[in-house]
Amino acid sequence: MRSAVAGLACATLFVGLAHADRLSDIKARGSLTCATLSGSEPLAYQDPATRKYIGFDVDTCAAVAQHLGVKMEHKPVTVEARIPELALGRVDLVAAAMGYTKERAEQVAFTASHYQIPLKVIVATSSGITKFADLAGKKISANKGSTPELHARRVIPSADVVTFQDAPTAFLALQQGKVQGFAIAQASGSRFVSETGGKFKFLDETLAWEATALAVKKDEPALLAAVNKALEEMEASGELDAMWVKWYGPTTKYNIPREKKLTPISRF
Amino acid sequence: MLTLDFATIFHGRYADWLLAGALTTLALFAVSWVMGFVLSLLVVSARSSGVKLLQAVAFAFVGYHRNVPGLVQLFVWYFGIPQFLPDAWQMWINAHGSEFIFGCIALSLNAAAYMSEDLRSGMRSLPPSQLEAARALGLSYVSAMRKVLLPQAIRVAVPPLVNQSLGLFKATSLAMAIGVAEMTYATHQIENETFKTFEAFAVASVFYWVFSFLLMALGHRANRWLRPRGSR
Repeated sequence: MRSAVAGLACATLFVGLAHADRLSDIKARGSLTCATLSGSEPLAYQDPATRKYIGFDVDTCAAVAQHLGVKMEHKPVTVEARIPELALGRVDLVAAAMGYTKERAEQVAFTASHYQIPLKVIVATSSGITKFADLAGKKISANKGSTPELHARRVIPSADVVTFQDAPTAFLALQQGKVQGFAIAQASGSRFVSETGGKFKFLDETLAWEATALAVKKDEPALLAAVNKALEEMEASGELDAMWVKWYGPTTKYNIPREKKLTPISRF
Repeated sequence: MLTLDFATIFHGRYADWLLAGALTTLALFAVSWVMGFVLSLLVVSARSSGVKLLQAVAFAFVGYHRNVPGLVQLFVWYFGIPQFLPDAWQMWINAHGSEFIFGCIALSLNAAAYMSEDLRSGMRSLPPSQLEAARALGLSYVSAMRKVLLPQAIRVAVPPLVNQSLGLFKATSLAMAIGVAEMTYATHQIENETFKTFEAFAVASVFYWVFSFLLMALGHRANRWLRPRGSR
C-alpha cells in the first residue's frame, strides 16, 4: 500500500514535471535568472565604485522580473555564450544586446523589440573614407559573432571583415591602422568616437537598423507571453522611455534618441 | 533531439572558409616551426657556449617564453611591439597581413624556447668529452656544435621535439585572438552563423587530429633516419 502511494506520488510528480513550464518554475522559485553582458557600457557593466552590475539591460531585467512578481537573479555572460546558455536552460531570459536575426530566431524565441539601434562603421577622420564604397578591398574589424559583423559582410561584401574577441580589441586594430573601418552598433561605438576627441568618426551611412529584443528559450509560450506583456506595460507606463533617457539620453555621452518604440518581432 | 547536418558547413562560403582556415593553420605551423627550430639551435648554442652574456640572454629568452602565457605573447607582438616601429614600417606590415606575420613571430619565438630546452636536455645526455674531443681535433666551437654535438643532441631530442611540434600545431589556434583566419577562427565563424556547433567543432577536431597524427608519423620516420648508420 505504502509503495503504491509512493508510486502514485512519483507518477504525479513526474506528470507534474512534464507539464510544468518555465514560467511556473520561475514563479515557484521566486526568481528570474537573467543574463546580460558584463563589460558593455551602458548596457551592463560593473560600477567601478560599488562593483555592482548596472546598465540599461540590467534595469530592463529588473523591471521585467518586477512585472512578473519575482526577484531578478543576475548572470553576466559573454556574447558567444548567451544563446547556448539559453538553449541549455541555464538562464531564463537574455537581455544582452540581442539583435534580431532569422538564424538566431531558429535557436531562441525573441520578445518584441524594445529598441532599435543603427549599426555603423567607424573610420579614422584623417583616412579620407566618407562612404561604404570607399571601404572596398579594405579591412573592417568587428566583434566576433556580432550582428555588425554579419551586416558588414552583407552590405560591404568587397571588404575583408576581421573579427576580434571584444569591441575594445577591434577598435585597437582600427587605431593602429591594422583595419580601415570598425563595424559596431552606434550605441556601443559612440564611446570610442567621443573618447578619442575627433580622431575617429561614424560614417553617415547605416549598415542596418538593428532590432534589439530580449530572448527566452524556444517553446516556452507562457514565458514569452508574460515577458511581452511586461514589456507592453513598461512601454505604456513610460518606464522604457525613462530607462532609455537614463542610459542613452541627452545627459549621457551617447545622446541617442529612442526613435522606435516597442515593435512586435514579427515585423522584422 | 540533435540531428547532424554536415552538408551545410561543407557547402558554399562555409566550405571556402574551412579550406582557407585549414591552409592558414598549416602555413602558420610550417613557417613557425622552421623559424622556431632554427632559432632554437641558436638559443641552445648560446646557452651552452660558456660566454656569460650569451648564456644570460638565452636564459632570459627561455624564461620569458616559458613563463608568460602564449596569448599574452601574441598580444604583445600584435598590438604592443608595432607601436615602437616607425610609422612607415607599421603601414607596410599592416598592408601585408600583419596578423599573420606577428602570429608567426610570436609562435616561432615561443616554440624556439621550448625546442631549445628539448635540445639542451639532448645535449646534456652527451658526455662532456665529446666537445673536448671535437675541439682537440681542431674544430671551432661553432663547427663542433654544428658537426658533432647538435646532430647527436637532435637525435636524442626527437621524441620531445615531436611533442613540442604537436604543441605548436595546436597553439596556432591562439592566433585567432589577433584575427588570423585559421582553422579554429573559421569553425568558430561558421558556428556563429549556422549554430551547427557540434558539426563545426567536429570538423575542426578531425582536422587537428589527422594532422597531429601525420606529424607523429613523420616524427617516427625522423627517429629512424637519424639513427647512427649501421643500427637501422
